[in-house]
Amino acid sequence: MPRKVIAVPKTPKEAHNPNRRAGTLLRSQALHLHEALKWHMRDVQAVLAINPRTLHTEGAISKYIQKVTAVLHPHATEPQIKQGGEL
Amino acid sequence: MSEGLKALKHIVVLMMENRSFDHMLGGLKVPGINGLTGNESNPDTKGNKVKVSQSAKFQGQLEADPDHHFPGVDMQIYGGQTGDNRVANMQGFVLDYFTQTNDVNKSHAIMNYFKPDDLPILTNLATEFAFFNTWFASIPGPTICNRAFAHYGTSFGQVGMDFFYLLDPILSIYERMIKGGHTSKLYYYNQASSTMEVVNLLKNQPQLFGTFEQFIADCKSGVLPEYSFIEPCYSDQIGDDGGAIIASDQHPDHDVREGERFMATVYDAIRINPDLWQSTILLIVYDEHGGIYDHVVPPDCTPGGYTAKPDATGTGRPFSFDRLGVRVPAVLISPWIPRGTIVSPMKSDGTMQNQRNFEHASIPNTVTNHFLPDFDQNNKRTDREKKSETFLDLLTDTMRPDDDCIAFDL
Repeated sequence: MPRKVIAVPKTPKEAHNPNRRAGTLLRSQALHLHEALKWHMRDVQAVLAINPRTLHTEGAISKYIQKVTAVLHPHATEPQIKQGGEL
Repeated sequence: MSEGLKALKHIVVLMMENRSFDHMLGGLKVPGINGLTGNESNPDTKGNKVKVSQSAKFQGQLEADPDHHFPGVDMQIYGGQTGDNRVANMQGFVLDYFTQTNDVNKSHAIMNYFKPDDLPILTNLATEFAFFNTWFASIPGPTICNRAFAHYGTSFGQVGMDFFYLLDPILSIYERMIKGGHTSKLYYYNQASSTMEVVNLLKNQPQLFGTFEQFIADCKSGVLPEYSFIEPCYSDQIGDDGGAIIASDQHPDHDVREGERFMATVYDAIRINPDLWQSTILLIVYDEHGGIYDHVVPPDCTPGGYTAKPDATGTGRPFSFDRLGVRVPAVLISPWIPRGTIVSPMKSDGTMQNQRNFEHASIPNTVTNHFLPDFDQNNKRTDREKKSETFLDLLTDTMRPDDDCIAFDL
């Protein structure tokens, strides 16, 4: 038997209305993201408060660099995958 | 263990927005469905009986967003009863929608449901694979707390839309997977749509996220994570190139057809990669009913370990997370699932056969049990989640040939 193929109807262009008044869901989402951004700024402020000129050891400077890199490139902080590792 | 379960490498969940089971699937006429007879009704504010009507429209009928916050859903389920011995009767939908429309005629639209032919993607997926007669929202309330159950197996005591803070030691399903040496990702549609609710994770675990474009690429190149959660587009946008991007979440009053197209796109992305298709199960489920009528009374459930105070519920009563929310559409897709499977099919006498009540905590429970069988030794999830139903037993020993599975012409 040939495969059943379902035609997917197109959505009319008139469906698009970016001027529609936003509902509670989108407004809540914006507030949640605003809250997350405040946390993020606090983290950035904490790193900015460190004066790198006061750091003298490789250990201290590498710790600082790690913090700055984590802010500038957060995707680099992907956890190591440990097969069978403990939680 | 079935052959389908042995072959399973990927679980994918697509969570849509705010439509009830009856509204989307209640018009299907297949044996075993607990759908609509056409005689179900609710009273309106003038005392008239308003019957369900197969006249739902893709857009424009629910411009006033139906109430789906906790007090509104309480009204819908109990019909406005307030006494201690009240009984759930699903008689308050029209009355409650009047509070949003202030128009008696418009309030009737909450009883409308779709013709199956109007929703060729959802209805064909449901009938060609499996659908659930008994999948309920986790809370009789709005989006944020319900989506939390899909991610954490709990809403940490929240019944509303407020930002919430995570409480140790509960881990999200994504963190469990990564810490357990597995792979997991949340794919949001694009930056302008972003993620809903899990900003806790977005802030602290950005590596868990990808875009929908990446999901498509990951399917194509065969690097899909073991567990993926997909978020539709939540807003009508103007793209970077000036083009129109239409919301695909199906939240009223977004056009339902765009959500259909999105489901078809997700399905096709998996189906066209043969290795992925035979090793993946796709669940399409809605976060909550969005204030739209369903005739099934939500059942009791294992209490969630929290109590929301009366001022938080807005009903004057506390809530112990011991009752599920309103029923939502849920469809499970895999070539290892026989055509026409119905979970908890209804018998001719109107009772359910082997009734199993699913909810959003079933998602992390299913994923955890499959990929992390030793997880519970660390006690980092709720009893509510652990006692929820899981769905991988629907995979059988027989894989359907590729040309036996539907395709979509996008």
